[in-house]
Amino acid sequence: MSSIATGYDLSASTYSPDGRVFQVEYANKAVENSGTAIAIRVKDGVVFAVEKVVTSKLLVPGANRRIQIIDRHIGMAMAGFLADGRHLAARARDEASNLRELYGPPTIRSVADRLGLYAQAYTLYSSVRPFGCSAIIGGYDKDGPALYCVEPSGVSYGYNGAAAGKGRTLAKNELEKLKFSELSTREAVYEAARIIHLVHDDAKEKDFELEMSWIGQESNFRFVPVPDDLFKDADQKARDALENFD
Amino acid sequence: MDGKTAPQMRHFNPYSDNGGTILAIAGQDFAVIAGDTRQTVGYEIQTRYAPKVFRLNDKAVLAVNGFAADGNMFVKKVKQKLEMYRHAHAKDMPLRAIARLIQTMLYAQRFFPYYVYNILGGIEEDGSGAVYSFDPVGSYERESCRAAGAAQSLVQPFLDNQIYFKNQQPIPGGPPHPVHLPLSRVIALVTDSFTSATERHIEVGDELEMFIVLSRSHPQQSLDPRLNATEVSTTASGEKVFVIRRPLKRD
Amino acid sequence: MDHFPTNWGRPRNDLNDAYNTYPLHQRPYNGPKDTFADGVQRTQQPIVTGTSVLAIKYKDGVMMAADTLASYGSLARFKDIQRLHPVGSHTVLGAGGDMSDFQYIQTSLDTLLIEEEITQNDGHSLGPSEIHEYLKFLMYGRRSKFDPLWNSIIVGGVKDGRSFLGYVDLLGVTYEAKTLATGYGAYIAQPLLRDAVEEREGQENSITEEEARKILETSMRVLFYRDARSLNKYQVATITAAGISISESQHLSTEWSFAEGIRGYGAQTQ
Repeated sequence: MSSIATGYDLSASTYSPDGRVFQVEYANKAVENSGTAIAIRVKDGVVFAVEKVVTSKLLVPGANRRIQIIDRHIGMAMAGFLADGRHLAARARDEASNLRELYGPPTIRSVADRLGLYAQAYTLYSSVRPFGCSAIIGGYDKDGPALYCVEPSGVSYGYNGAAAGKGRTLAKNELEKLKFSELSTREAVYEAARIIHLVHDDAKEKDFELEMSWIGQESNFRFVPVPDDLFKDADQKARDALENFD
Repeated sequence: MDGKTAPQMRHFNPYSDNGGTILAIAGQDFAVIAGDTRQTVGYEIQTRYAPKVFRLNDKAVLAVNGFAADGNMFVKKVKQKLEMYRHAHAKDMPLRAIARLIQTMLYAQRFFPYYVYNILGGIEEDGSGAVYSFDPVGSYERESCRAAGAAQSLVQPFLDNQIYFKNQQPIPGGPPHPVHLPLSRVIALVTDSFTSATERHIEVGDELEMFIVLSRSHPQQSLDPRLNATEVSTTASGEKVFVIRRPLKRD
Repeated sequence: MDHFPTNWGRPRNDLNDAYNTYPLHQRPYNGPKDTFADGVQRTQQPIVTGTSVLAIKYKDGVMMAADTLASYGSLARFKDIQRLHPVGSHTVLGAGGDMSDFQYIQTSLDTLLIEEEITQNDGHSLGPSEIHEYLKFLMYGRRSKFDPLWNSIIVGGVKDGRSFLGYVDLLGVTYEAKTLATGYGAYIAQPLLRDAVEEREGQENSITEEEARKILETSMRVLFYRDARSLNKYQVATITAAGISISESQHLSTEWSFAEGIRGYGAQTQ
């Protein structure tokens, strides 16, 4: 059933007769238009990678980061509207610091849950629109590595490998081939870089920046950008693999 | 014990006295503002170098003495206001305006005062050297010289005698007492005041920090190199500010 | 309506009822109220306390020492409490005074640092002088509310090749110096520390790590002999360009055999 001109899509507080909330689905469309963001949870860490589409040559390289830090041990990658994503990141930080104040270093799950509740509240009222952004949130807590994805609807599912944005289908295909319980975090960096390069569609957008952050033993269990030398190597290997593939 | 406890102090005392002494003297076209750098509490020397004299701009220097925490916070707030003034008016606040500002800021805390004695020295808009002295709640006046702090009672009478010539008769038939003293004489008086106060007061010593502000109308625009002064003024065309540091006895 | 029959027809202001039997409920007070009649209770005194902290600048940075005792009055209540606390990767705090206030300060600084690290994420980080300035505002702000954080704190650190050693206390009083000591240590250890540093006036940065450690150990020992609220277990923090290290608690060797000869202490009775 088409939603156009039925009037059921004008408000997030209205269901369509077949039980859908079109505003939420439109928000998902906004996510689908964005550069791909993925994250991989392996045995001893989590790796995030984002295909950041460069919309103008005038932009400073490295600006407008789409992977953000939420707490010392928690990170977040966003796909969709960057502005909405930054708002969610700010909210996630508040939730994390609030949880930390009350209970000590927060688990990834507790922050993802809180962020899910927050996003869900934006699907209930006619005066607001749902977030045009999926937040992949992950880190390393007392129970080990964890990875969640909070969608515009407010659901927050846990994953071994998460993907959002334009190339998500292809990325998920690739992610499914990985052996999450065997990969090291370092190896996952190479996989993440490879997948982002693979799903990037050269025909549509020429320029993109690869952005990668990680957390694990090697980062001292802090969520930080992947170190320069490793990043460059992974980036180069991914490019080479693509050349050989063609 | 007889079951009764001795009376206890019910109130937290938010003040303490951190010793030290400050002093400022105005000449016709210069001002000297000085203070020692010892910070004490009771018989304890907390540090041998905690500045009490601060350059506010190229024509104003503020010395603060009393409770150090209040003093530092007060100077910080004065500096903030002066910076805002600069942004709003594209010039430094004149000395007499700073003096009034300080009164307002002190009096605003009339019922929980800054426990601080302020002495402001510098050059007025007419080019004359000036000293303003304040009490902790903002009462102030312009003077030629003022000492404050731990050794005020030692230094002020000396200044009254040497600057205002109190209890001195001019030589009959000779020249009258001078109204203004030359810079070299003032620097000597300040140095002597502090070495003497150091001898007689336990809370004074370690180092003397002396700021000298020269009006543009002062015949020399630099100081005798033997004084070993450092210039700290920011523009070549305005008033000149110098610092002289001298060791004092540390016992 | 007053529902207590014993109140009926009675004078309204007598607290214990002269006409009735004990026990008697308190009658409701219906007169005007002064909210501040009893005042608001704020910290009037420290409860669980730590004693002195010592610190010294040396060739490579700053070294700090504090024993591991938290006293409850004259009771040695907690004997394994760390009073040296790292803040970020350039700074160490050492605190004497109320330990719960110190824990509050630790928490609030950690929150501040996480916020700085995360929301800014601009490659800058807070160094010792910034932490010291922040603490000054925190402590001065609280004393101005008549609700002080009952501590004397030493802030030491190294950043951008400059070492920093500063003090701040419950009044908001601050200062910097080459050697610092809080509490009882200000009277007993500070002269020893100054002696060690000032004898090399003009070349004070020549003190090696071993020498600094030695100076602190000697001073901690003297403090243990003389300060009744001290312990012979202490930790040493070193802060250099390479980073922070806080030692395991170490034992102070002491010599008590001389006491045998002291009348009133040893075996002698007269």
